[in-house]
Amino acid sequence: MEDFIGRISISIQKGKVDINSPYPPDMKGQPGAFELTGEALENGVSANDILTKAMIPAMGIVGDLFKDKKLFVPQVLMCAKAMNSAMSHLKPYFSSGEICKRGTFVIGTVSGDLHDIGKNLVSMMIEGSGWTVVDLGVDVKTEKFLEAIGDNPGCILGMSALLTTTMESMEKSVRTLREVYPSQKIIVGGAPLNNEFAHRIGADLFAPNPQIAVEFINSL
Amino acid sequence: MSYTPRERVLAAMNLQKPDRVPLMCQFSIGSMMQQLKPSPAEFWYDGDVFASGLVELCKRFKFDGILVSLHGHSPGWRDNIVSFNKLEEGKQEIVFTDRSEFHSWTDLPMVKYFNKPVHKGIDEIDVENDVPGVIDYIPVSQDLYFKIDKDHPFDIFLKLKEMVGSEYSIHGEITSPFDYLLDLLGYEQALISLILNPEKCKEILQKFTNGITVLAKEMCKYPIDAVKISSPFAGMGFISPEHYSEFVLPYESQFIKEIRNCGKHVYIHTCGHIDDRLELMQQSGASGLECLDPEPVGNVDLEDAFKRIGSKMFIKGNIDSINSLLYADDAKAERDILKIIETGKRGGGFILSTACSIAPMVSSERLDMLPELIKKAGRY
Ligand code: B12
Repeated sequence: MEDFIGRISISIQKGKVDINSPYPPDMKGQPGAFELTGEALENGVSANDILTKAMIPAMGIVGDLFKDKKLFVPQVLMCAKAMNSAMSHLKPYFSSGEICKRGTFVIGTVSGDLHDIGKNLVSMMIEGSGWTVVDLGVDVKTEKFLEAIGDNPGCILGMSALLTTTMESMEKSVRTLREVYPSQKIIVGGAPLNNEFAHRIGADLFAPNPQIAVEFINSL
Repeated sequence: MSYTPRERVLAAMNLQKPDRVPLMCQFSIGSMMQQLKPSPAEFWYDGDVFASGLVELCKRFKFDGILVSLHGHSPGWRDNIVSFNKLEEGKQEIVFTDRSEFHSWTDLPMVKYFNKPVHKGIDEIDVENDVPGVIDYIPVSQDLYFKIDKDHPFDIFLKLKEMVGSEYSIHGEITSPFDYLLDLLGYEQALISLILNPEKCKEILQKFTNGITVLAKEMCKYPIDAVKISSPFAGMGFISPEHYSEFVLPYESQFIKEIRNCGKHVYIHTCGHIDDRLELMQQSGASGLECLDPEPVGNVDLEDAFKRIGSKMFIKGNIDSINSLLYADDAKAERDILKIIETGKRGGGFILSTACSIAPMVSSERLDMLPELIKKAGRY
């Protein structure tokens, strides 16, 4: 079992999706996250162990490397692809209740803002740490955030803003959300934000990168 | 010796020291709108309105040069309008046959296409037919393209020349082939394709580069002193230095060489974190670098940058428009700007500028500080 766990973890960290994927070149022709996960299940490794001992820690390592600028966006996208290919084997176990997601994370870029690259990376990393992600897209109005919180009771909300002008939309949205859902956990992120701003508008956390958000939500 | 604003900028680009540090920032469209409060759609589409705005802002804030971020305005821009609605003050909605656009004083136009074509998969792309040979658009933002009118591609430079003569340094702008690639494929597919299908990416990049080279050479026939290359996806926030060397540098270098052969300056604008690739950017043959965002938006230390590349390139930067202009109090703003002026003066060719564009809500009082501080501390 250890062997499978270790190999699945490495294939995700290296972005090795499946046997046909040419990337990374030094793993050409070798099985990837897809085949290894299938084999592991056939050999009696539990879906829960694959998720919690291989996939989640692997994405954590990817997140740390990205934070330290040792991995870049294309490589992270490959890791996420590898993770998704492994995840495709686990779907039936989620439906049957044998394994559970940690919770639901709702995310969107605030009204007036179209930047989504950072938000999408955050979604991938959070999904990789065992959460269901509901992505509302870009230019998300307050009403849509409210609706999503209503539809996903107990969720954690992530909001992204990259423009100083749309930081105002973020502030408005957070204040309105707080009136309706006073104890809603809200994480904000985006290049121009900082701790002080997050605190002032009443968010629970400013996360300068996905890894900080992952650590925070997993500690709740 | 006294210099005209244009001579000052030219001296700095030639790695010399004029009478004082030249000043030339680029405005985001939102900041131009905030300062001028024009009819937003006309400001975007009408070359005369845009040119007048550029000149007005340059004079108002005592800049030494004008960056022309859009070119190719079409006199017939109203032709396909189905309706033009004035909403509240400073907000307009235009419906064209294929899309609706929301124009406002705070930002670029927001566009919605009625039938948005999905990005083709990289394997389906037929380079011959799907990648344009002639570049007739600028990929400005999500779904927002500025169409270059083939009959009036560079009229704006003539208008500006007519308005300001040789007083100010006028710079054109072109967009990196890397941006065109990301726009063609969608950024996620494009970035993954760098890994999975690098050869096809290179074919596409080369075709875009050919078109952009023609555009750049044509632009150089007009009265401009320099061309800025907009390359916002080429920093550490996106790609590794290895990918930069493989997918950005070889292509940008091609038209940089042509622009230099035309006797014009050329500088690269890559925002965010670029500290690990300053030397690579220098290898492009460009005469200068813009941005060099400091912490926290980027990671460049101006003094260190001068040491590393300052003997070969001019530097245009690097005021953090968010933390030093928008959010800072007067004392912090003054401290930050003075430090940059002092460092820049000790370096080689230097133009004082915001790192990336001036954020939309920066006040006019804050912008007025720039020429004042240059007057106080910018003399050589
Ligand atoms: C790429 C880019 C664009 C692309 C966006 C493409 C896309 N699909 O997203 C395009 C070209 C469309 C664009 C458009 C504009 N942009 Co822009 N853009 C950038 C740029 C260069 C990089 C942003 C990016 O994707 N970075 C890479 C990702 C991975 O990083 P990130 O977004 O910061 O996200 C990370 C963290 O912040 C965090 N994070 C982000 N969100 C969240 C959310 C949560 C919940 C958590 C936990 C974490 C988190 O995790 C992410 C991963 O580490 C930045 C410059 C910069 N240094 O940031 C300017 C920048 C953000 N843009 C800017 C501007 C001004 C604009 C325009 C107004 C342009 C104009 N000329 O007028 C338009 C606005 C369009 C609109 N209404 O949104 C300014 C904003 C200034 C300001 N703060 O007011 C910046 C800072 C450049 C500058 N001038 O300095 N832009």
